[in-house]
Amino acid sequence: MVPINDSGGAKARKVGVKVPDTILERALVLLSRYREVSIAVVAVVLVIYFQFGSDGGFLTAQFQSIVLRDTGRLGLIAVAEVLLMITGEIDLSLSGTFSLAPYIMVLLSITWGVPLAVGAVISVAVGVLVGAINGLITVRFRVPSLITTVGTLFFLQGIVVSIYNSQPIIAPVEEPFNAIFGENLSDPAGSVFSLLGITAFTPFLWTLLVVGAIALVLNRTSFGLHTIATGSNIVGAREIGIRTDRIKVYNFMIAGGCAAFAGIINTAQFASADPQGGSPFLTLQAIAAAVIGGTSLLGGSGTPIGALIGAFVVASLNNGLVMVGAQATVSDVYLGAAIVAAMILNVQVDRLRTRRRV
Amino acid sequence: MNPETGPQAIAPLGPDAPVILEMSHISKGFGAVTALVDVSIKLRQGEVLALVGDNGAGKSTLIKILSGFHQPDTGTITSKGKEVSFASPRDARSHGIETVYQDLALVGDLSVFHNMFLGREYKKRVLGLNLLDNQKMRELSRQYLDNLGISIPSVNSTVDLLSGGQRQCVAVARSIYASPSILILDEPLAALGVRESAHVLGLIQKLRRERNVSVILIVHNYNQIFEVCDRINFLHAGEIVFDASTSETSEEELIRIVKSGLGRKAIAAAAAEAGPLPA
Repeated sequence: MVPINDSGGAKARKVGVKVPDTILERALVLLSRYREVSIAVVAVVLVIYFQFGSDGGFLTAQFQSIVLRDTGRLGLIAVAEVLLMITGEIDLSLSGTFSLAPYIMVLLSITWGVPLAVGAVISVAVGVLVGAINGLITVRFRVPSLITTVGTLFFLQGIVVSIYNSQPIIAPVEEPFNAIFGENLSDPAGSVFSLLGITAFTPFLWTLLVVGAIALVLNRTSFGLHTIATGSNIVGAREIGIRTDRIKVYNFMIAGGCAAFAGIINTAQFASADPQGGSPFLTLQAIAAAVIGGTSLLGGSGTPIGALIGAFVVASLNNGLVMVGAQATVSDVYLGAAIVAAMILNVQVDRLRTRRRV
Repeated sequence: MNPETGPQAIAPLGPDAPVILEMSHISKGFGAVTALVDVSIKLRQGEVLALVGDNGAGKSTLIKILSGFHQPDTGTITSKGKEVSFASPRDARSHGIETVYQDLALVGDLSVFHNMFLGREYKKRVLGLNLLDNQKMRELSRQYLDNLGISIPSVNSTVDLLSGGQRQCVAVARSIYASPSILILDEPLAALGVRESAHVLGLIQKLRRERNVSVILIVHNYNQIFEVCDRINFLHAGEIVFDASTSETSEEELIRIVKSGLGRKAIAAAAAEAGPLPA
C-alpha cells in the first residue's frame, strides 16, 4: 500500500480517523465507554438529596443497613439479568428461583436435619438447574426466553406456594451460617466497624463479591467475550465458531445460581423462608436496575457495576422517599420515569456516536 | 505476468500441483428449497479459484458447507487426501480453512483486537485464573494491521465505528492471520474502493506466492477474476455448469456463459441449432 509517512516525520492524516473535539462528542465517548457514569452521577445526587432532606438520617449505619440489604438482594438479580440481556435474552423467572431455593434449604434442614450450609449448596444447584432448563427450552425449542421464563415463573411460584400451604417457614438459627450470610447482629447504637456491625452489611458484601466476579468474567475471559459476541452478532459469532447456544445456556445457569443465592441470603437475613419473598416485582425492579445502570435490552453490551449502582438507586428510592416525607408509593413514579429516561439515553448515545463516528 | 521480474511474479500453477481439497457430489436443501445439486469442486494447492454465479445460485451455501457452518445432505469433502466432515466452523478452522463471510462475522460491540482473535484468544494465568491477554492481542493486532498497510483509527475502537471498507479489511486480515492452508473469501471486495480492492487482491496474490495458500474467491467483477484467479467455476441454479482455467477462457466467453446460464457444450449445441449468434 502507499506509505503513510512519506514527508519526513510529518504525520499524514489518516482518512476516517476522528478525534473527539466538541464537548458533546467527548461526553458521548465518555458515556458509551463508561456506561456506569450517568447512573453514578444520579446515585450521588440522590444520596445528597436524601441526606439533606432527612436531616442527616440517610447516611447512618442503621438506615444504610436497610438500603444496602435491598441493594444486595436486587443487585444479585440485576447482575444475573445483565448477563442474560447481553446475550439478548431475559429471565423473568428469577423471582421464582429466589423463593424456591431457600425453601428447599430450610425444608431439608427441618425434615432431615441437613445443615444449612449443605442445603444452601443444594439450593444453588437447584437454581442452576432451573436456569439450565430455561436455557435449553429457549435454545432447543426456539421459544423466546420472555415466554419460556414467564412459564417457569408460574411453575416455580406454584411449587413454592403448594409445598407448605403458602406459609412462611421459620429458618433454624445456625451459627456461623446466619452471621456469614446476613443475619443482622448489629446493635443499632453500636459501631459499624465492629464484627457484629459488619453483619449489617453482609448481604451487600456478598453481592459486591459476586458482581466483581461477574464483571471479571465478562471483561477478562473468553467466556465473557463470547457472551458479548453472542448478543451483539449471533450469526457472526456462529460463523466464527462460537457455540452460541451453549453460551446462552451457561448464562441462564449463572443467573439461576445468582437468584438462588440471593434467596438464601434473604432468608438468612429474615430467618424465614417466605413464599411471598420473591414477587415477580422483584425481577422487574432488578431489570429496571440493570437498564438504568446502562445495560441495553438489545443485547451486546451491559455492565454489572452499573447494575449494582442501579440497584442502589432503586433501593434508595424505595426507602429514601419515605424519609424525606413522600408517599411510599411515589417511588414507582420516579422509577418508571428513570427507566424510560435511561433507555432513551442508552439508545441515543449509541446512535449519535455511530453517526458521528467518535 | 513476466517471470523475469523476480519475486513479484506469480509462478504459473503447475498441472501437477496436488489437489488439496475436493468436494464430491454435494447436495444441500433447506426445507422446500434445494440450494445445491450434486456439486463437485476440486481445489489444488496454491490455486486461486473463482466461484461465479448469480444471486441465489448457491455460492454462499457451498462455501458455508466448506467452512463448517452448514452440513451437506449428501456428498463428501476430502482434505489432503483424507475424508473429513466439519460439524462446526471450529472444525473447519482446525483443518486450516479460514473464511471471510459476506457478512464479515465481526462483532460490532467488541474492539478490533478482540475481533481479530475471537475464538482463539490469547490468555495468561493471573492468580490461577485464565484471563485474556488483552495487551498481547492489542499489540499483535496493531503490528499485523500496520504490516498489511490497513489503516484504522485504533485497534481499541469498536468495530461498529469503522467504515464498511475498514471492516472488510479487518475481516480479511483476521483470516490471513491464522495462516490458513485454504482461504475462502465471499465477496471480499464488495464494500471496497478501487485502491482498497487492489490492496486486498495484492494480499491474495502475496499469500499464494509466499505461502502457497489455496484460495476460493467469490467475486462479481470479471476484471478482478482474470487478474488474480487461476480457474473459474460457474455455479448456476445449484449446479456447476462451467469449469475452466482462466488461460483457456476469456472475459467475453465468461459473460456469454453467465448470461445464458449454460455451459460450453450447451452453448455450442444451441449455437449450432440457431445459426451464428448476432455480434
